[in-house]
Amino acid sequence: MLPYTFRRVLIGLFTLLLISFVVYGLIRAMPGDPASLAAWGQEGAGDLTVSAREFEEMRRAYGLDKHWTLAYFEWLGKIVRGDLGISLYNHRPVKDMILDALGPTLLLSVTSLSLAYVLSIPLGLYSAHRSGKLDERALSGFLYVLYSFPSYVVAVFLLLLLSVELKLLPLTGMRGKDFETLSGLARGWDLLKHMVLPVACYTYGSLAYYTRFIRSNLVEVSRQNYILTARAKGLPERTVLFKHAFRNSLIPLVTLMGLSLPTLLSGSVILENIFAWPGMGRVFYQALYTRDYPLIMGVTLMFSVLVLAGTLLADLLYPLVDPRISHA
Amino acid sequence: MPEPPEASPHTRGGFWRDAWRRFRRDRPALGALIFILLLILVALGAPFLVGTKPIVCSYKGSLYFPFLEYYFQGVENSIFFQDRFRGVFPVNLKKKDPASWALWPLVYQDPYRRVEAGEWPGEAGNKTYQPPSLRHLFGTDEQGRDVFARVIFGTRVALLVGLVSMGIAGVIGLLVGALAGYFGGKVDLTLSRLIELSMSIPTLVLILALLSIVERPGIYHLMAVMGLTRWESMARLTRGEFLRLKERDFVLAARALGAPWHRIVFRHILPNALAPALATLTFGIASAILIESALSFLGLGAPPPTPSWGRILASWRANDSCWWLAIFPGLAIFLSVLAYNLIGDGFQEATDPRSRSGA
Repeated sequence: MLPYTFRRVLIGLFTLLLISFVVYGLIRAMPGDPASLAAWGQEGAGDLTVSAREFEEMRRAYGLDKHWTLAYFEWLGKIVRGDLGISLYNHRPVKDMILDALGPTLLLSVTSLSLAYVLSIPLGLYSAHRSGKLDERALSGFLYVLYSFPSYVVAVFLLLLLSVELKLLPLTGMRGKDFETLSGLARGWDLLKHMVLPVACYTYGSLAYYTRFIRSNLVEVSRQNYILTARAKGLPERTVLFKHAFRNSLIPLVTLMGLSLPTLLSGSVILENIFAWPGMGRVFYQALYTRDYPLIMGVTLMFSVLVLAGTLLADLLYPLVDPRISHA
Repeated sequence: MPEPPEASPHTRGGFWRDAWRRFRRDRPALGALIFILLLILVALGAPFLVGTKPIVCSYKGSLYFPFLEYYFQGVENSIFFQDRFRGVFPVNLKKKDPASWALWPLVYQDPYRRVEAGEWPGEAGNKTYQPPSLRHLFGTDEQGRDVFARVIFGTRVALLVGLVSMGIAGVIGLLVGALAGYFGGKVDLTLSRLIELSMSIPTLVLILALLSIVERPGIYHLMAVMGLTRWESMARLTRGEFLRLKERDFVLAARALGAPWHRIVFRHILPNALAPALATLTFGIASAILIESALSFLGLGAPPPTPSWGRILASWRANDSCWWLAIFPGLAIFLSVLAYNLIGDGFQEATDPRSRSGA
């Protein structure tokens, strides 16, 4: 077990190194660099607002005068010492910007993931239990359609209906304009109202997916001989379903949880953009837009660590839920 | 060496015929297939449905097909250039040659520009932000362009993006997966790392960075880039299939006959691994359509004049009381994604031998 973990972590570190190298090269290949954006403005059409000497200084400060491989190793050296650098655009430490954005993203993703699990397990059990019956087929069909509905289209439709037409919910943002003047309870209510639509858009897709996933796993498990045995023994259907079938269908669910770890923190670029939610997805989009190299690198590094950690975690959890699997 | 006989025929004619029989029984999947075929027709024949260029016209004694310009940009016939048509046909045809005649598309509107007043004799120009009416079936946008025309032409973009990008991704994925699965060992280790690496880089960074290498990224660049970044799941699946199949007796037999590796990989194993790969490809098309519209929605995808569904949807944000700017492109995206998913599932059901004994 331990040597296995050690080997996996080592491979993971090597992969991280490769990813960060490739991404660094890629973002340096993007047209427009932070120095010229600062000097000419976002449109790149206006006159130079700084002198040529200042421009050169800026390029040096941003590390643009060096070849990108050299700049990469400088960046790497800082990372090893735990320094993610300073945002070129906001002039704030990248670490602080990421930490600031994590809160709002976690608020959405944890709420939505918990909702998805809490709702999908009973739904999945129910539809496996009623498999083939009319109500189950209607439910499954509905969930299937829901699963195919792109989240940003749903976001736009919901905004159109609830915010624009009915004016029930606020359009965008995390807080109302008068948030500062509100009392504690009213603040919570305000936040909740702003959260409803983003959480709904985050949740419905994974809810539909998990339910289908749990149902198909249960149906698969139900064909096994030990389920037949349990039924033959005359155990009540409830016991068969919960004790025998459901427990054994948990293994793939654990993998799924591990794989969903990165999405917890990464946020959604497009949804956070639509709802103007100040989370990771929005930070990342803005970093790309302003060519904020240290910020892009910091966020990418975090995403990659999470993806790798998620897969590793899922693999390590396997033997715990299923003793037949072992990494010895 | 004589060709070995084909694999023993199944009862009632072959694997694919069998799969088709099964697929046909799946009503939603069949409906989705018909819907997609219809979309392909719409995409191919878009300039016949809506456009400002005649399908065929007789002008100064010869026949011309100006609608072809919607397929190949910049092939305008030089006579229309010399006679200063400037892309406006109805008025100019009559003015410059009273004997001319033309066959028009069903709807006289353009996906790239607004129709000006007097362009069509006696008709007013397009106004901005018009709600749906008989004249503008899906309303007009912020520039007065007809949304129906844009949605119809958007079909071309969506279908093309899906098919081309997944075609590229499919070839790369199959190749990488086949080599990794068949050869195993060091080849597998290297290629698996490559797959892992490419999966861990955020798609958005990868797509944007690759797009930025070209000077003026167009829709074809976007397709190529998406093809280059979305092959991992295909490769993983093919690798698994190859690992499973290469131990089979028919592979051993081929090897014993002295068949070279490329023959074994492409002629013997690949056809057997194709069915699950094709299902994955269908889901890939759905997600490619999604990504393209999402990128265009964020203003990062197809460049401005391109009538992409995502771009129309994005124009709703500037004036959010115009519901028609959201509903029609949104439904178009949703329905095509749903249809591709249904086809993929139906195909999987129809070709997966495990689903045969059950239900």
